[in-house]
Amino acid sequence: MTTAPTFRLEASPAARTVLRVENLGKIYGGLVALRDVDLSVRAGTIHGLLGENGAGKSTLVGIMSGQRKPTSGTIYLDEKPLAHVDVQAMEKAGVFLVTQEPMIIDHLSAAENLMLGIWPKRRFGFVNWRKLRQDAERMLKGTGIAADARAGALDAVARRKINILRAMFSGGKVIILDEPTAALTVDDRAQLFDFMRRLKSEGVTFIFISHFNDEILEICDAVSVLRDGRYAGGSEDVGSLTSEDLSELVLGRGLVLFEREKRQFSAGAPAVILKDIRSGTLDVPSLAIRAGEIVGVTGLPGGGGKELARALFGLQRASSGTITFVDGEARTLPAHPAEAFADGIAYLSDDRRKDGSISQMSIAENISLSAEVALARGAFMNAEQERALSQRYFQSLGIKAPNSEVAVDTLSGGNQQKVCLGRVLATKPKLLMLDEPTRGIDVGVKQDVLRIVDELSRTGVSVIIISTDTDELVRAVDRVLIFHNGRIREELAGEAISRSRLRNLG
Amino acid sequence: MSDTTMTATTTKPPATSTRRSSMTGWVLHNVVWIWLIALVVIFGLFNQYFFTLFNLQNIMVQATVLGMIALAMSLPLLVAEIDLSIPANVGFSSALGAMANTDLGLPFALAALIGIGAATLIGFFNAICITKLKMVSLIQTLSMMIILQGALLALTQGRTITSLSPGYVWIGQTTLSGWPLMPIVFVLAILGMYVLLRHTVLGRSIFAVGGNQVASNSAGIRVDRVKILSYTIAGFLAGVAGYLLASWQMAITSNQGSSYLLYAIAAPIIGGVSVFGGRGSVIGVLGGVLLLTVIQVGLAIISVPSFYVGMIGGIMIFIAVAIDAVRVRYFG
Ligand SMILES: Nc1ncnc2c1ncn2[C@@H]1O[C@H](COP(=O)(O)OP(=O)(O)OP(=O)(O)O)[C@@H](O)[C@H]1O
Ligand SMILES: [Mg+2]
Repeated sequence: MTTAPTFRLEASPAARTVLRVENLGKIYGGLVALRDVDLSVRAGTIHGLLGENGAGKSTLVGIMSGQRKPTSGTIYLDEKPLAHVDVQAMEKAGVFLVTQEPMIIDHLSAAENLMLGIWPKRRFGFVNWRKLRQDAERMLKGTGIAADARAGALDAVARRKINILRAMFSGGKVIILDEPTAALTVDDRAQLFDFMRRLKSEGVTFIFISHFNDEILEICDAVSVLRDGRYAGGSEDVGSLTSEDLSELVLGRGLVLFEREKRQFSAGAPAVILKDIRSGTLDVPSLAIRAGEIVGVTGLPGGGGKELARALFGLQRASSGTITFVDGEARTLPAHPAEAFADGIAYLSDDRRKDGSISQMSIAENISLSAEVALARGAFMNAEQERALSQRYFQSLGIKAPNSEVAVDTLSGGNQQKVCLGRVLATKPKLLMLDEPTRGIDVGVKQDVLRIVDELSRTGVSVIIISTDTDELVRAVDRVLIFHNGRIREELAGEAISRSRLRNLG
Repeated sequence: MSDTTMTATTTKPPATSTRRSSMTGWVLHNVVWIWLIALVVIFGLFNQYFFTLFNLQNIMVQATVLGMIALAMSLPLLVAEIDLSIPANVGFSSALGAMANTDLGLPFALAALIGIGAATLIGFFNAICITKLKMVSLIQTLSMMIILQGALLALTQGRTITSLSPGYVWIGQTTLSGWPLMPIVFVLAILGMYVLLRHTVLGRSIFAVGGNQVASNSAGIRVDRVKILSYTIAGFLAGVAGYLLASWQMAITSNQGSSYLLYAIAAPIIGGVSVFGGRGSVIGVLGGVLLLTVIQVGLAIISVPSFYVGMIGGIMIFIAVAIDAVRVRYFG
C-alpha cells in the first residue's frame, strides 16, 4: 500500500487520499499491537476495516483519531503530516471516532451526551441550551430516545446510538465507526447504512469496522485487513469479492461455517418448565425447554426476550413465575444471581462493559468469579481448582493474551467477550442463557463459540440464545421464539427458521 | 497494490515480544519502599540516633495504631466507598471502653470488648445506611464523624481520663526483653487482612465489587453483603485501634483519634490503594504506614522546629503521591 492507490473512473471525487498512515506501530507494555502499518483512505469512500479479535483495528483507529498515541509512524491528513495528534485537534480537523464501547457520561442527559464537546455556543463560551435541546431532539427523532432521559438509565443499544449520532451530525469529514452495528437491530442497521450513504454522497469519508462480511460487502467501497497487527491485504474493489474471500483474508485460511445438526425435540420430556412468568410487560404463561435443546429468542428491543432471561436470572423482579427442572419441584424465580447460579441458571449479559467483566482483575480471576462460591472450601477460595478451571476456558476459548494473569482491560473487545462467556460456562449451568453471545466476536471465533455451545447442549444443558443475528439463529438453534410486546408471538422450528422470516420482525 | 486483486502478506504468530521496560517499572511499583529506605538513610545521616534499636522500637509502636486505622480505612476504599468516621470511631470507642473500665469498674477484658463491640456496630450501622438506605458514603460517614466526635466530648465532658487499670494498659505497656508487645497486634492484623484479601471468597469479592459493582452483581456476588462486611470489619479494626491507643497512651483525651484522619487516608493511598476501588494490597498499606511514621518520627528526631514539621511532612507525602500517580499513569 505504499504506492498511491489506482484511480477508479466511476468514483471521481474519491480519487484524493484524505487520511493516510505510514509505518504506524504501537506497543503496549511488551505487546506489539501494530507494526509497520501503511494504509490510505480515499475521500468520499466507505473504507472497511477487518480483522480477527485483537488484530489491532481499534488500536489503529484510536491512533487515527488521536485517542491513542502511536509508538512510531506518521499520520497524514489531506497529505499533510500531522505533528500533534489528540482528540480535540482531530475533531477540529473533522475526524470523528465512535469507539467500540459506548462512551457515555451516565449522569448527563441523552441530549447533553449527544452534544458533548460539540455543543452550540453563545458569546463568551456560554452553552446555548435551547439550541442544544432543539438540535438534540431533531437528531433523536425516530430513535425512540428521549432527549432528557438520563444516559445512565439507557440500554446498551440506545447508548451506542447516541455515540453514533453524535459523530454523524458532527459535520466531520472523516467518520470512523468501530463496530457500530454490533448492538443494532436490523432496522437500525438499515437506517445507519442509509445515513452513511447519504453523507457519503455529500463527500464524507467513512472507516467502518465490522465482523460481518455481509455488511462490508453491502456498504464498503474499499477494504483493508489487519492480521496480528500487520496490514494483511485489502482491495479497492469490494464488489469483486465474496464473503469467503473476506474470511480467508481475515483468518489467513479458509473458514468452515458452523452448522448445527438440528434436532427435533417434539418427543422427550422437557428439562426446564417455566410457568406464569410475569415481570413488567413480560407475560409468558408457559414455556418448556428440553434437555440439550438450543432455543433462539429474538424480537425488537423491549420485546421481552432479554426481560425473560433477566427475570429468570434474578436481575429483574418478577411478579409471578416458577421454574421447574426435570429432577426437582417447582420453585419461585431466584431473587438474586447468586441464587440463580446455585440453581444452575446462568446468564450472560449483552453489555459487557457495564455488566460483564471486572476490568482491572485478571482473565483467570474473571473466569472463575461466578464459580468461586461453588468451589470454595468454607470461606476460603479453592485456588488450585480455580486456576485449573480458568486455564481450561482460557485455552478452549482461545483468548488472545500473553497469559491468563493479565488484566481484562488490556484485551481487545472480542476477547473480553470471550472472558465473560468463560465465566458463565465455568459455572456448569443446567439452563444457560446467552444474550448476544457472539456480539463483537470475529468470524473464526464465532464458529468456535457456536460449536462450544453446541457441544455443551449435547451434554444435556438447555440453552437460550437471545440474538438479533439472523445468521446465527439460522445456523445454530433448534427453535426460535419471536417476542413481541412481552409475549411470545410466534414459534419457528426446523425449516421455518429462515433468514427472510427473521429479517422482518416488526 | 493493483485494483481488484487482494494482497496477502504472510504473518508470524501472535505479536508478543519484550518484557516491559522492567527497571523503571520495578522502581515505580516499589516506590513506597524505595522512598522509605531513602528517608531512613537521610534521617540517619542527620542524626545517628535514628539508627538505634530504641528508635526502631519507637517507630514500630507508633506505626501500630496508625497501621490499624489505615487497614480499617482500606476496606471501604477497596469496595469503592469511603468511611471518614473511622478515626472518630477510634476515639469514641476508645473512650467508651476506658470509661467502662474506670467509671463502671468493669473488668478490663470486658470493658475492652465493649469498646471494640461498639466500634464494630458503628461500622455495621454505616454500612446499612449506605447499602440499604442508599446514602452517599462520603456524606453519611462525614456526619457520623461529627456525631462521634461530639459523643466523645459529651462522654468525657472535656476531661482527660487517666487511672486506667493495669490490665487495661498491659498490652500497650508490656515489653519483652526491651521489645514492646503492641506491634504484635498489628502484625497479626496484617496477616489476617492478607489472608482475607488473598485467600477468601470475601476478599476476592471485595476487589470485584470495587472494580465493577454492576458486573459483580451479575456475576453472583451479593454486593450489599460484601460492603456491609467490609464496613463491619473496618469498624472492628477501628475498635481494636481505639483500645490499643488507650492502652498505649494510658489516657483518653476529648479529641482522641481525630488527628489520625488525614494520615489514615494518606497511608493506604500512598501504598497503592485506589480511591476508585478495586485495587490495593496489604503490603502496600504497610509501606504507606511505615513511610508516614518514619516521616513523623524522623522530623521530630532531627529536631526540625515544630513550625516546619507539618509543612515538610506534607511535602514528603505530596512527593510520594505524585510518584504514585506517575506509576498509575504508565503502568496501571
Ligand atoms: N490498553 C491496552 N494495554 C495493553 N494491551 C492492549 C491495550 N489495548 C489493546 N491491547 C492489545 O492490543 C491488541 C490489539 O487490540 P485491539 O483492541 O486494537 O484489537 P481489535 O482488532 O479492535 O479487536 P476486536 O475485534 O476484539 O475489537 C490486543 O492484543 C490487545 O490485547
Ligand atoms: Mg476493537
